[in-house]
Amino acid sequence: MNARDSWTIRRRLLLTLIGPLLLLLGAGVALDYAAGIAPLQAAFDQALINEVLATAAQLRTQRGGIEFELTPQAMEMLRADKYDAIYYLVLGPHHEYISGDEGLPNAPSGPDNPALVDAQFRNNAIRSASFRHQTAAGEVTITIAETTHKRDEARHRMLVSIVVTDTLQFGAILLMIWLGVRLGLRPLIALRAQIDARSAHELAPLDETHVPGEVRPLTRALNRLFATVRSNAHAQQQFLANAAHQLRTPLAGLQTQLEVLRRDAEAASVRDRIDGLLDGTRRLSHTANQLLALARVEPTANATAEFGDVDLRDIAEQAVAAHFEQALQRRIDLGVEAQPATTRGSAWLLREMLANLVDNALTYAHADGHVTVRCGMNSDGVPRAYVEVEDDGPGIPEEQRAHVIERFYRLPGTSGDGCGLGLAIVDEIVRSHHAHLTISEGAHRRGTNVRVTFSAAAQVA
Amino acid sequence: MRILIVEDDALVADGMRRGLSQAGFAVDHVASAERAEAALQHENFDLLLVDVGLPGVDGFDLVRRLRRSGKGMPVLIVTARDALADRVVALDLGADDYLVKPFALPELAARCRALIRRSKSASGSGMDIGPLHLDISRRETRVSARIVDLTRREWAVLECLALHAGQVVSKDRLQQAISTWEDGLTTNAVEVYISRLRGKLGDEVPIRTVRGLGYRLDEAIA
Repeated sequence: MNARDSWTIRRRLLLTLIGPLLLLLGAGVALDYAAGIAPLQAAFDQALINEVLATAAQLRTQRGGIEFELTPQAMEMLRADKYDAIYYLVLGPHHEYISGDEGLPNAPSGPDNPALVDAQFRNNAIRSASFRHQTAAGEVTITIAETTHKRDEARHRMLVSIVVTDTLQFGAILLMIWLGVRLGLRPLIALRAQIDARSAHELAPLDETHVPGEVRPLTRALNRLFATVRSNAHAQQQFLANAAHQLRTPLAGLQTQLEVLRRDAEAASVRDRIDGLLDGTRRLSHTANQLLALARVEPTANATAEFGDVDLRDIAEQAVAAHFEQALQRRIDLGVEAQPATTRGSAWLLREMLANLVDNALTYAHADGHVTVRCGMNSDGVPRAYVEVEDDGPGIPEEQRAHVIERFYRLPGTSGDGCGLGLAIVDEIVRSHHAHLTISEGAHRRGTNVRVTFSAAAQVA
Repeated sequence: MRILIVEDDALVADGMRRGLSQAGFAVDHVASAERAEAALQHENFDLLLVDVGLPGVDGFDLVRRLRRSGKGMPVLIVTARDALADRVVALDLGADDYLVKPFALPELAARCRALIRRSKSASGSGMDIGPLHLDISRRETRVSARIVDLTRREWAVLECLALHAGQVVSKDRLQQAISTWEDGLTTNAVEVYISRLRGKLGDEVPIRTVRGLGYRLDEAIA
């Protein structure tokens, strides 16, 4: 996938709009400048022409010669310029020097009269206007030139003002686009918030009333998907309920009949054989129950489980109370050390989880051993609720710990009623709660400690 | 003590009937809710064992109808359905307990005894747990033939344990049972009364400690 494909719509819109907008800004500045510079230049040129014509009026011709004399007032008027140096040059009919600043470039004679030209004089850029004046003594060329400071300054100011106003406009447009994109994306963000606010198990259709037309096909597809998942989950639950009934009823019949038969049996040899049958029936019942439990905790069947605030202390105490008889029969000391701890979750899933953990511990602990259920809050860093079951049994070798959550996996060399599904069920439930499962050694480096730590996000405020 | 089993699976019903008879109950069996209602018109039972998945009227409906018609005998739902929702529905309808198939017969018998015991104690009759006998109306305690003298608080603790014999009772709950007379009792007080009760009742009546949780009076498993 191209990295661009995953860009946000906001980024796409802003990035695709900003390039053309920058080009437009450049073109706008250039156009404004070009449009503004011509009349400015014309105005300055006209002033220069006026000056050259006024100067020409001062020219006097005498018989046999041309005399050019500026009165001091005229001279002062001519030179009076705050910004620019003014030069002049008067040439006779044969381009001979008559008066003024020698060497001043004059405009080439052409159709225009007066004619204007840009040139260099005494290391300064100048603009000069030359006027060919017909006198009795012949054609006299009068040239007036000024340095370009005034013009440069005016041009500079115009450019600055164009750039400043255009940039402000550009900024305003960007702001409007940004606001527009934000406003336009608001329904999408609201939709995202609506989806975010749902728990992972909530499958109710999304509210479409405030969804814009463009996005509606998407929400419709999502709602169709939700409906499918919902009905699949429902169908699977229905199937599991039927399967449970069809499996458990004959097992119940078989088990009770065998128990009755065992009590009625008189010969010890028959009783032993019935005990064997009973043991097999119980293992079959256990496996059937575990398979049903595993199917029921899977996300597909479990898509409608309701999450709420769960008091882990209640769950821990219930698990211990429910398994006390089993512990007694195996002569195991089963106890609870419960600190206040609450998390968000599904109470029946967590009860199922803890029942499996306690059952496992009781199955694999030594007789006369200890099994302890604990719950509380993690003290390191962010407070997170945990629940754990610890035994002082043979423990799980470190290299086996990753495998014990696999379905039907049994530790090599273990006996007993276990069918290898208990920790797989626990793992499914842990995952549906976004919690974390840790298997380690118990206290004094003996036995097993299985701890489920809930995420900080599931912390009940 | 008479029990009526309402169960449509012949093998299960027969096993339950035989097993509970062995445990000393008088047991009758019907295969449908309609027949159960007919039987209940003419005879009294101390306990009803009801399967949920019955042909015609189901077990839940049967319980609902019984409670509506004012019949208050204890009802134990015995079913293959173990979803939480089913349990909640059953208890809401007025069933007293819920047992999931398959079960062990001693467990079934213990639940039956507990339910009958609870309903008898509510009607002021006596409670028997193995050699222990509690006469509710006279507040008299006997172990085998020996009369045991108990203070009111000791009696309250023992009564609470006896009502839930075979089940773990939390210290908090026992404390509530005795705090009627004196507020602000600590859970240490419960330990004191338990230790006195053990002394007075002797080894015949085992009160077990459940570490970190509470106590359990053993239900004698026949």
